[in-house]
Amino acid sequence: MSAQPAARPDAPEAQAAPRFALRYSRHGENREIAIAVPVGSVRRIELPDAESKSAFLTAVLKARCEAGEELELFGQPVRNLGGSARQRLRARVGALSPIIGLINNLNAWENISLPAAYHGKPSLAEVAAVTQEVLDVFGVEPRGFLVRVPDELGKLERKIAAFARLMVAGPELAIIESLNDGLNRAECARIAGFEQEYRRRHPAGTLLFVDIREE
Amino acid sequence: MLRAVREIEGGVRLSLNAAGRLPVLRKPPVLESFLRQVYFTGVTASTGVVLRASLLGVLIIAITMDVLDADVDMAVKILLLVVFREIGPLAAAVVIILRSGTAMSAEMAMMRISGQTRALRYLGINLYDYLVVPRVAGVMVATLALTFYIQFLAIAGGLLLSPFIIEATFMELASRLFDLFTPVDFYYSIIKSLLFGFAVAACCCYHGLNPPDLTQNAVPKVVTRAVTQAAMLVLTINAVFAYIVFGILFFGLVKATV
Repeated sequence: MSAQPAARPDAPEAQAAPRFALRYSRHGENREIAIAVPVGSVRRIELPDAESKSAFLTAVLKARCEAGEELELFGQPVRNLGGSARQRLRARVGALSPIIGLINNLNAWENISLPAAYHGKPSLAEVAAVTQEVLDVFGVEPRGFLVRVPDELGKLERKIAAFARLMVAGPELAIIESLNDGLNRAECARIAGFEQEYRRRHPAGTLLFVDIREE
Repeated sequence: MLRAVREIEGGVRLSLNAAGRLPVLRKPPVLESFLRQVYFTGVTASTGVVLRASLLGVLIIAITMDVLDADVDMAVKILLLVVFREIGPLAAAVVIILRSGTAMSAEMAMMRISGQTRALRYLGINLYDYLVVPRVAGVMVATLALTFYIQFLAIAGGLLLSPFIIEATFMELASRLFDLFTPVDFYYSIIKSLLFGFAVAACCCYHGLNPPDLTQNAVPKVVTRAVTQAAMLVLTINAVFAYIVFGILFFGLVKATV
């Protein structure tokens, strides 16, 4: 089974094929999955089940593939990568996913700024500016929002905090998993702006929405 | 047996890793976590629990003096040997295990079970740097501070209380105490309390990060195991340390007043 048709090497367009931000394939007993996401594109893929989705996300976020999987990130096969090369690739990928949830004992601001404060870049002033802009876009009042811990935030607010953290990191390949899960129609309409906001900040970036196919 | 060997190996590896990564305390979020740990372990504990622990120390002195029919020399020796060297660091360690060891192991087990440790790894944050080092360093500093606090309160309480039990003035007891007090007692307390703090924090972090399974049911098991083993570690370190410093091994090299 193919979740998204991969570019075939024999196809005419393969001559001018864009560089792929991500190419992934998985050979299972009953189904085959092949995913190819060109650089700079916005793609939506639906995987057949939760297990496939989890395996795909884990492989991409770890830049590591298991037996039966093949993964290429930005044109580099990850199978035999060394530690530092793998680390460099991982730094170019970010995700808004329950796998990378918020830390419960930190408030929203600490959650958003933690990676930047730990790695020393970008500066906290830049983090504050990006956060302010993102919150403005989604109509969230920062003063009340940023001091609350994740348990005090609603599902939509948690997604916005995680999105702000993602925008601060500014990955070349951003993966958004199960975006609408647990949200009502009005909330879904609000976060539909994630794509636009990401594109505005990273015109050359690649955005991938991942979901499970509803039978 | 195999599990015990694995736990010892894991605990030693975690301890060495934490000790070798102390420079990461310069990173702002790690430093913040360290200060938070010192505050919750040291400062908040000093208000109620430690005061009660210190009063217990004073009570022990009073009973011992009464039973032994102590004179000035005996009273001061009890204060130094029992309170300063033994009860001070041990009481601090017990308070730390009960207050912070339980909280730390439960918090880390919950983080592991709910996938927050995995989230940290995906964000490129080293678990030792962000979770273990600030807790170990924070608990060490807090244990040292609590030890001094307990020693001060218990010694002061003992000196104030003793004149009611034996025939000696406060000034007599204090001057005899300063005569008998040696720097070894001081260094002994510092090293021992730092070791206690290190052992308790490393043990609780190890169990918190390695729950038996990834369900909510694992949390109480983690806490029980962490607290029991931390208490055993503290008692073992206390016995070994006392034997090494004041026992036959260095006897004569260390001029301690025993």
